[in-house]
Amino acid sequence: MMNKDAEKKEDQEEQEEQSGPSSLVQKIQALGQTNVPQAPDSNVHVLSIIGQVEGHIQLPPQNKTTKYEHLLPQLIAIEQNPKIEGVIILLNTVGGDVEAGLALSEMIASLSKPTVSIVLGGGHSIGVPIAVSTDYSFIVPTATMTIHPVRLTGLVIGVPQTFEYLDKMQERVINFVVKHSNIQEEKFKDLMFAKGNLTRDIGTNVIGTDAVEYGLIDEVGGVKEAMVKINEFITQAKGNGEQEVIQ
Amino acid sequence: MILYTPLSESDIFPTAENVYTNRQCVTYDGRTVFVEKNSNGEYQLVQLLSTDPQDYLNDKYIPGSILS
Repeated sequence: MMNKDAEKKEDQEEQEEQSGPSSLVQKIQALGQTNVPQAPDSNVHVLSIIGQVEGHIQLPPQNKTTKYEHLLPQLIAIEQNPKIEGVIILLNTVGGDVEAGLALSEMIASLSKPTVSIVLGGGHSIGVPIAVSTDYSFIVPTATMTIHPVRLTGLVIGVPQTFEYLDKMQERVINFVVKHSNIQEEKFKDLMFAKGNLTRDIGTNVIGTDAVEYGLIDEVGGVKEAMVKINEFITQAKGNGEQEVIQ
Repeated sequence: MILYTPLSESDIFPTAENVYTNRQCVTYDGRTVFVEKNSNGEYQLVQLLSTDPQDYLNDKYIPGSILS
């Protein structure tokens, strides 16, 4: 018996040794490192919107896209989970589907939990309403936001109604941005229809500090500033909650 | 053939569609992940979609790891 047990143990050890190095090798192949640090559960969740905002039409797979059908349930999950106290939205997008972008923006704007956005690299076109949909928005000094009129690809019927439809869609975007940021409607339209700024288009490419100057974004800053802001919002929200209990 | 163009290489020689056909979006352990079937028939994690920043530090969801 003793012998058998000993043999078993040896077998197990052998197996462990075999599985050990191979998983280690796998890790090295996967990430080029063996261990990642572990930290306690985070009360702030992160939603990254990268590449193109993909809507009703599936883009070819070589495009890097953010699919709104993936993000909407995540936003609901964030709203429902009591452990999550705040959300940070990371933006580096070239724009995309207007209705998908507006859907995301409205979802973020209607979350009860504190939200802060950071525009990194670029937050173009439909990225603008997403960036301003949060309670507070940041932009890094090097990031840019292109503001330009809405346009259509694919089959277009050459009737005045098409133009009206497009105009209404644009109006929705403008209204959302004006409502959720400090920019004046006139100023935003001026930027949108400006000539001579973009090489082959009308519109304006707004850079970090300018976006703050125009009132589009609240502040220039990165991760550190965003974390300070969201923690401030979280303590504020907690304070309000306690007051309600007392009443 | 010599090319002199401002276009990127991928614009002239588009990647074959079939490269991406074995990539799919599945739910693994309650998290949405993109996986790719490798030549051994195993599913290899390509991208993790999660709002929890800690998930990205979890060994289990390292891109390139084999799903079990």
